Amino acid sequence: MNSGPDSADVFLESLGDSPSGETSAPNTIARPLPLSSFSSIPYTVQFEINPESTAFITSSPGSPSLSATHKESLTLSSLELNLRHTVDFRAITYDGTIDENLMCPICRCPLVNPVLTDCDHIFCRECIGDSLSHSELCPIDRFPLSLKDLMKAPKMVFNQLDSLKAKCPCCNIAFARSMLEHHMEKYCPESLVRCSALHSSKKCAGVVKRRLSDQGCLHYQVQCPDCMETLEQAQMEDHCHTVCKQRLAPCEHCTTIILRHKKVEHEESCSEVCRPCQWKEYGCSYEAKQDNLQLHNDKCTFKLFGAIAENIKKEVNDLRKEVGNLKETNHLQERRIKFLESGQKASEKPFEFMDSSDANLSDTANAETLDTGHEYLLSLLEVQQNRISNLAAELSELRAKHTVMLFNETIPMKNELAELRSTQQVTCMHVRWLMRFRMQENQRRFGGGPGPAPSGPDGGGPSNEMPLGRRLSDSMTRDLITKL
Amino acid sequence: MASSQKRISKELAEVTTNPPAGITVSLVDEANVHNWNIVMDGPEGSPYAGGKFKLLLVLPTDYPFKPPKINFKTRIWHPNVTFDEHGSMCVGILKPEAWKPSSKIMSVLTATQQLLIEPVPDDALEANAAEKFKNNRAEFNKEAKEWTKKYAK
Repeated sequence: MNSGPDSADVFLESLGDSPSGETSAPNTIARPLPLSSFSSIPYTVQFEINPESTAFITSSPGSPSLSATHKESLTLSSLELNLRHTVDFRAITYDGTIDENLMCPICRCPLVNPVLTDCDHIFCRECIGDSLSHSELCPIDRFPLSLKDLMKAPKMVFNQLDSLKAKCPCCNIAFARSMLEHHMEKYCPESLVRCSALHSSKKCAGVVKRRLSDQGCLHYQVQCPDCMETLEQAQMEDHCHTVCKQRLAPCEHCTTIILRHKKVEHEESCSEVCRPCQWKEYGCSYEAKQDNLQLHNDKCTFKLFGAIAENIKKEVNDLRKEVGNLKETNHLQERRIKFLESGQKASEKPFEFMDSSDANLSDTANAETLDTGHEYLLSLLEVQQNRISNLAAELSELRAKHTVMLFNETIPMKNELAELRSTQQVTCMHVRWLMRFRMQENQRRFGGGPGPAPSGPDGGGPSNEMPLGRRLSDSMTRDLITKL
Repeated sequence: MASSQKRISKELAEVTTNPPAGITVSLVDEANVHNWNIVMDGPEGSPYAGGKFKLLLVLPTDYPFKPPKINFKTRIWHPNVTFDEHGSMCVGILKPEAWKPSSKIMSVLTATQQLLIEPVPDDALEANAAEKFKNNRAEFNKEAKEWTKKYAK
């Protein structure tokens, strides 16, 4: 990311060489910077003059980068020199880890312009647009989806995204993501602005870092004093610090002069650099320069212990590896047993097949696995038998319970039945008695008419007991006859 | 297709900084993020153990909307990989109808590793190997080991 501004400069320099493109098009030309493989520059510079820039100058975000000199440069160089920066939020680096829920499942970056689907998933608008142009399905649950089903994501999501801390691609200071473009356009000392000579007689169309813009127009050719390369003064600083291969610089530790780009190599061998003790890992906190370190190494209290610890560490690692291997074989064997068991249950055939697959083991091992299989099966059988006997016991118990219950219920029923029977008999007796009484009365009434009266109750009672039915019908017909 | 490049480089960074066990990833050509070289160790407990298998992962320009293609550059005797110079492989999540743009390359790699441990003979590309895997496991293991020794050293 550090090399970003350099290549931007180079690119913009080439823009300056051909100002024809600038004149033919109106003020707003977005210039995407070239994407060199994947380490690209995460922002584009828009050549647009912003007339409202004065409105923002009082509300400055309290960033540490806003030094006094920087503010001065803002006022010195006319405000119209600001360039609008469009930052690609997918290419910048963010501070800290980002909540997985704020990541777009398609581009795997923090969401940019999030939208909500019908099936409650959130994507970047651009990403889901691309995805729907390939197939009209939700990329997560394959629910049918079309562009018109997309809604703006809840405000809360936007707020969360806006408050993500993103690093400025120029000055590498972290800002809230929503403030980043504003920062780059107006405040970042490392971002690009138009050359202050734009409005002067020179009409310079170049761009320069804001930090340098108060030094007048820097767009003239100079020669690097170290590598003799010719380049613009505006790029000189970056060239000297990062690009130039010939530049000399003193070593920070031993103050010898070395080639700047060989610094890392030098530091490895530099005797003045502080290095930790050889046994740091085991608790020695001694740090010293190379010469002293050698002296220390001889008398370091961790010297004896360190060697032992090293051995132990090695052994522990070996053991760990062995345990891992054993675990794996154990796991395999367990699986094999399970397989055997299932094979035997299904039929004989898969069992044989498993048998042969074990042939890479020795014969004894083979027999062993079989034995364990049998044992396992037998134990299973035992368990099942136990279960069955338990069930049988439970069943008989239930049966007994049921008979008792039945018995309990039938006894009162029987009693009731007997009672009912007796009452029925009583009523029967009553009815019979009443019937007889009635019949006798009838007999007396009708029998009294044609026959002699004294033959009624005393003589007829016992004698007409037997032909009761006939008498009744007789009386009935007589009744009818009299009625007619 | 800058967005696809960004996602790919992100995933590349993820896989190189935190690679799954037994897998190393590098670019075929530093300037092209679409072609990945993958070296996969034969998983322990499979007949491929001890072998080093080279794979080529090709990410289409419309990745992640289209699935990546993955081929074995090292010959491998496996029911789901063709036993020829192409080394085409059949992994469930790479089928166009099963691919989701939210799937990651990391999961593709682990799925490939899993396929080496547990072949899927019902979905075979190499019928011969699948047949042996199903009906004569010992023979299959032996052959797979031999081919691993021959090609994947």
